[in-house]
Amino acid sequence: MTRIGLYLGCLIPTEQYAYEMAIREVLPDFGMELVDVEGVACCGAPLRHINLSLTMYLSARNIALFEKDDLDMLAPCPYCHQAVSETKHVLDGNPELRKNVNAHLKEEGLTYRGTLRHYHLLDLLHDIVGVDRIKEKAKVSLEGLNIAAHYGCHLIRPNDIPRPDDSENPQKMETLLEAIGAKSDYYNEKLDCCGAHILLNESESALTKTGQKLQAVQKHGFSGLATMCPWGHRMFDSKQDSAAQTVGGSLDVPVIYYIQLLGLAMGKDPASLGMNLNRSPVDRLMAPREGV
Amino acid sequence: MVRIGVFICHCGTNIGGVVDVDDVVQFASGLEDVVFATGYRYMCSDPGGRLINDSIKEHELDRIVVAACSPRMHEPTFQAVLVDADLNPYCLEMANIREHCSWVHKNDVDEATRKSKDLVAMAVAKARTLEPLESYHKNVVHEALVIGGGIAGIQAALDLAESGRKVYLVEREPSIGGRMAQLDKTFPTLDCSSCILTPKMMDVSRNPNIELYTYSEVVDVEGSVGDFKVKIKRKPTYVDWDKCNGCGECALACRLKDRIPDEFNEKLGKRSAIYVPFQQAVPLKYTIDPNACLMLRLGKCGDSPPCKDVCTLDAIDYGQKESIVDVNVGTIIVATGYDMLDAAEMYEYGYSRSPDIITNLEFERLICSSGPTGGKMHRLSDGGEVKSVSFILCVGSRDKDLKDYCCRIGCMGALKHAYLLREHEGDGLEINICYTDIRSFGKGYEEFYGRIRDIETNFIRGRPSEIKVQDDGRLVYDVFDTTTQKLLQVTSDVVVLVPALVPRNGAEDLGRMVKISRGADGFFLESHPKLKPVDTSTDGIFIAGCCQGPKDIPDVVAQASGAASRANTILSKDVLASVSTVSVVNEDLCSGCGICAPVCDYGAIEIVEVADSDGKKIAEVDVALCKGCGVCASACPSGAMEQKGFKCEQLSAMIRAVSSRDS
Repeated sequence: MTRIGLYLGCLIPTEQYAYEMAIREVLPDFGMELVDVEGVACCGAPLRHINLSLTMYLSARNIALFEKDDLDMLAPCPYCHQAVSETKHVLDGNPELRKNVNAHLKEEGLTYRGTLRHYHLLDLLHDIVGVDRIKEKAKVSLEGLNIAAHYGCHLIRPNDIPRPDDSENPQKMETLLEAIGAKSDYYNEKLDCCGAHILLNESESALTKTGQKLQAVQKHGFSGLATMCPWGHRMFDSKQDSAAQTVGGSLDVPVIYYIQLLGLAMGKDPASLGMNLNRSPVDRLMAPREGV
Repeated sequence: MVRIGVFICHCGTNIGGVVDVDDVVQFASGLEDVVFATGYRYMCSDPGGRLINDSIKEHELDRIVVAACSPRMHEPTFQAVLVDADLNPYCLEMANIREHCSWVHKNDVDEATRKSKDLVAMAVAKARTLEPLESYHKNVVHEALVIGGGIAGIQAALDLAESGRKVYLVEREPSIGGRMAQLDKTFPTLDCSSCILTPKMMDVSRNPNIELYTYSEVVDVEGSVGDFKVKIKRKPTYVDWDKCNGCGECALACRLKDRIPDEFNEKLGKRSAIYVPFQQAVPLKYTIDPNACLMLRLGKCGDSPPCKDVCTLDAIDYGQKESIVDVNVGTIIVATGYDMLDAAEMYEYGYSRSPDIITNLEFERLICSSGPTGGKMHRLSDGGEVKSVSFILCVGSRDKDLKDYCCRIGCMGALKHAYLLREHEGDGLEINICYTDIRSFGKGYEEFYGRIRDIETNFIRGRPSEIKVQDDGRLVYDVFDTTTQKLLQVTSDVVVLVPALVPRNGAEDLGRMVKISRGADGFFLESHPKLKPVDTSTDGIFIAGCCQGPKDIPDVVAQASGAASRANTILSKDVLASVSTVSVVNEDLCSGCGICAPVCDYGAIEIVEVADSDGKKIAEVDVALCKGCGVCASACPSGAMEQKGFKCEQLSAMIRAVSSRDS
């Protein structure tokens, strides 16, 4: 078993439980032992535009906790993942700030070394686990499903810091969907915004973005929408009804975490993947299993 | 015993404002064999030169140290002063206390002064070991090579030929003409591009001083300024050009007629396997495309190949082989031009997703009345009517992710295209131009921009985020117009991308072959950005046109004439002074191992047998070929090969001087 530290951030353990359940259910099958690291706090990202050095400090502190135990990090939330990437990018190029951050970390006996390897599910599955092993484990074919991919902006942007996939033409999620027998067509709205970031102050605009993207997915005739971000998932899944009201249409799109879909393909019990927590009609995606 | 004079330049405040020159003068006065030291405000000025000259006489100096700027700039200036004072020019040593010291340490006066002393101490130590060197001369070959047959190469070749020089003009494609031949009209005068280019192409073919090699490539360059030895590979055209009269019957008869994508038309049209790129081609001789021709690929073309059947001159020759031509020239002009950045690199602009998203060069072929559509615009996807055309400028240009620089022709090209579209398609058509800034900097350009502003054109100041293909095939994009602060959604039938310009494919290899440097952007680097814009880091090699950086036609032509004129400054001489700091072999130490010979880029070293020696071999340097680069000396395992002016003992003296200083 490869030990890998799990860094969940804030949204997953407080609301998006299904994401965590599916991760804990599926990854051990690929030889990964998930380790919870004591003492981690906020990833820092929400403070980024208010106090950059505080963001760096919070993120560096999390990194230091993982480095102390010599653990790699899995950050399934793209927002957290981006905070770690950016912190490493900035601190590795700015010795002055690094010294400053380390001076603060010293109070807890911590040091930011900059040696951490961190992953999101996208690159962990695509680059580390690999398509071949996923194909091997996928016993239940999802043939017949055409699943739209939603990456989420933080997973692929900005392109001047290392991200798990290309900013303008990401393809890894489609490859992963194809690996479990589903199809994943290109659609014009693939990189469109989920709306999550303006939900608090411009909720109508936010839900309009959510609704428009779901309408596009529906119009294209996709069987469902796969996500890899708890923020996007929350908009498309939990808020699908409000989004429908906002755009004045009826929406009926199954929205599922990719890792849940992978679990289904591996023949896992839907309940163990938290499928009962999805608000959208994901039952439809389980249907193909019955024929097998 | 030598008598050294040290002259320390203030360079105004460049050096004097940072380094304590008086302190350095005092320090220099105390160094061994220094009999005179002084500072002066501008040592490179006339009074500065006189000061050195007078001091040489007054103090009977025989070695001179000048501590000033880089020797790249003023070594020749001070060497001339020495010659005036009857000293050998190689009795000069320079210490660079400007670029290497005051400019980089301007915030640390004490350290800069200390470092200046180090540099002066080193220079004085070397000056004590300097020897007068003899000068060599070489004969100049009065012929020139021009690489690239676009408008830059054509102009340079014509200028040289008209001044009586023999010129070899080498072009990779079957015809000269380059990018300009592909253009429909030129901005801002709207001259028909081929109408003004064709006469120049004809002049090339008629000029007895120009030997034209098309469908050929330069494959090897040896030697140096005044005497380059060049190998030109003539690719097989499979047509005997001495017989071919360009009648074109073969192309009409070809079994693959209208089947092969036509490069000249940016693959929007089709040609035969035997072809001329365009009807005004020079030379008007046919070429068989070996990647298409059935005979060349499969050895069979129906019962008998129709091109051969119809050729009454018996010019078709499937057995033709490539050949190598050796030429000897005094100077080379590189004019290899540009390519477009592959528009598919910006995935978001959809170049790979819709045939209606095209580049400006493709548009140029489509709007041209002799182009594949006869100048009529229609949607390439379904032949449908075009109601709206959008131009997206700066695709990959002025973009820190791709190319930082401006393409210098995109704005004016798009304005020209807007004009031509309005002229061809009338008032009903919507024309949108998404720009960053309209850069209409050339003569008559701003006036032309004003004219386009007056014909109905939507100018949107902003870059679209991405171009999407709707279900009906039309193209839609969002763009934030920064002049009105409005987010616009635009739907068009055709989107024309204006991509960044990049060096022509193969420029990297050619640059290595002729030994000229390239900048960070990949374009060939001029010797000085202001004062030597067509010279390169290698003497005798000049650059012209877009291989040096993006530019428009008038700038290209001016630069090409400039390069020809610079080339003539070499070709007009019978002999050239060559370097004196050549390599010499210590015959007692040389074992004849031969390591030095292959590392010499100039072919100056030969391993020869010593006469009456029982087969002992040694290296021999041809001083006429040696450029004094020193590579052989560093490769020599026994220390037998040394470079004059940079001998081991001279460099060791410098190292000893700096390492023994108390710091």
